[in-house]
Amino acid sequence: MMKSLRKYDTLLFFLFIMPWIIGFTIFFLIPFGTSVFYAFTDAKLPGAVNYHFVGFDNFIHMIDDPIFLKSLLNTMYFVVFGVPIVTAGMLVLAMLLNFNVKGIALFRTFYYLPTLVPIVATVIIWRLVFNAEFGILNAGLGLLGFDKIDWIGGEHTIKPVIILLQVWISGSGVLIFLAALKNVPRHLYEAAEIDGAAGVRKFLSITLPMISPSILFVIIIQTMYNFQMFTEALLLSKGGPNYAAYTFVYNIYKSAFTDLKFSMAMSQSIFLFALISLVTFVLMKISNRFVYYEGER
Amino acid sequence: MNGGQKSSITATVSKYALLLAALVLFVGPLVWMLSTMMKTKAETYKVPPTIFPEHMNFEAFERLFAVQPMMWQWIQNSFAISFFVALGAVVSSSIVAYGFSRFATKYRDKLFPIVLLTLMIPPSIMMIPSYVLFAKLGWIDTWLPLIVPAWLGGAYYIFLFRQFFLTIPQELDEATYLDGGNRWTVYARVIMPLSKPIIITTIIFAFVNSWLDFLGPFLYIKNNELFTLSVGLQLLIGQTSQDFPALAAGAFISIIPIGLLYFFAQRYIVEGVVLTGSKG
Repeated sequence: MMKSLRKYDTLLFFLFIMPWIIGFTIFFLIPFGTSVFYAFTDAKLPGAVNYHFVGFDNFIHMIDDPIFLKSLLNTMYFVVFGVPIVTAGMLVLAMLLNFNVKGIALFRTFYYLPTLVPIVATVIIWRLVFNAEFGILNAGLGLLGFDKIDWIGGEHTIKPVIILLQVWISGSGVLIFLAALKNVPRHLYEAAEIDGAAGVRKFLSITLPMISPSILFVIIIQTMYNFQMFTEALLLSKGGPNYAAYTFVYNIYKSAFTDLKFSMAMSQSIFLFALISLVTFVLMKISNRFVYYEGER
Repeated sequence: MNGGQKSSITATVSKYALLLAALVLFVGPLVWMLSTMMKTKAETYKVPPTIFPEHMNFEAFERLFAVQPMMWQWIQNSFAISFFVALGAVVSSSIVAYGFSRFATKYRDKLFPIVLLTLMIPPSIMMIPSYVLFAKLGWIDTWLPLIVPAWLGGAYYIFLFRQFFLTIPQELDEATYLDGGNRWTVYARVIMPLSKPIIITTIIFAFVNSWLDFLGPFLYIKNNELFTLSVGLQLLIGQTSQDFPALAAGAFISIIPIGLLYFFAQRYIVEGVVLTGSKG
């Protein structure tokens, strides 16, 4: 009796989670499985019937494409320089919003606003602000005696411009840091003050260790995001000038939809997945030494 | 004593100075957009540029709708898609989350980590495989790739709902069983009515995320009658790249719905971000 009831309940459990099982199978397992399969073939189009198994050829010939290495280096730039800059920017902004002054809620509202701007609108706005001839930024810099800079059209400026754009829309990370800062127990600061610790010292010895789990979380999310940088580069400058903003995912997109080499695009996707997994794993490993979890001895 | 007061005033002033400096960085570009969209086309070519429009006007909007008569259609499309996504997210994720929070079976503890694991999969590696799948299903050039996945339980929202359901006391479930209720009555009549805050958070969050989505509609929809506003605007960048006021007007229109939602329901958006730690 009891046993059959439990069986019935298990059946009900599967009925309730059925939407997820179907979604997970159709939109994750099957595409992922086929992509691994196609990565070892020479299929040109989705649903191609005529294809051959080519083993690891796609992975070996990935490097033949001169853009491949360039796009990998560009992506590494966004990871190696972009992630620390954006994360530090978020932390500084969260600390500003943690000031105990009147009207702080209004500042928080406005700091977060750009994060809710659709990316296409963001790009339009940035093209207006950074326009070499008529933009407000160059006009302002001109007053300070600077020459006009072609920000978006410049091979050396486009990547920093994209990183700055990321800071502009970094509101979600700022909110996560702000929540973490508010959770640091006040008595720790009070104790430190009694011991005569000042600003920087308090930040290094109390704030940083106490919010280190959030820092790790934001760094991992941002690292994954920057490895996948694409939309910003596509919309802002079509990956140019001279492929300076041509990212790895941009290259995947081009392999599939311009060169019509779907199997190559899938091999590249798997390569990226392996790279992201590896870096995330390493980050988690080295973080054990720096991240402080409350309640841990 | 006096000195202490003075230094606290200096501290407050410098705090506001820093806050205002950062405010300029965040709001400045938006103000520039507002100013540009109200200028005449000629005024936007002035060097040095004017910060406030000399002859404030809204002709940019007329030009925008004249160049791109599809604008209204795109706005409606974006609303329709975001609406169905939000509805699907609430219905499917809450049902799945009920399963994951109220059934004591060994399968639950095996499957729930997989739900969380899918959150860690970089979406862009799924870009090409998903495209291939949708092409095979004949879903390219339809809204189905954008809407159907939302009706099949999104991991973020399942997580959100489950966290909330776990705070609702089990005693309420048992009381309902004693009254002759079953699993479904508990879900529909007890749990859901008590979950209004998380339902609202999910509706808003899913609506906003769908409205902000660019890559999905960009990859799967080629027929411009079915475009979302974002994809349509992207087309516009190419068409009228030198008509700055019209471009600014287009950007402005795409911000309005979310902007309004934000000012009226900020609490829920902030909550959603902090709870899921997702990128908005």
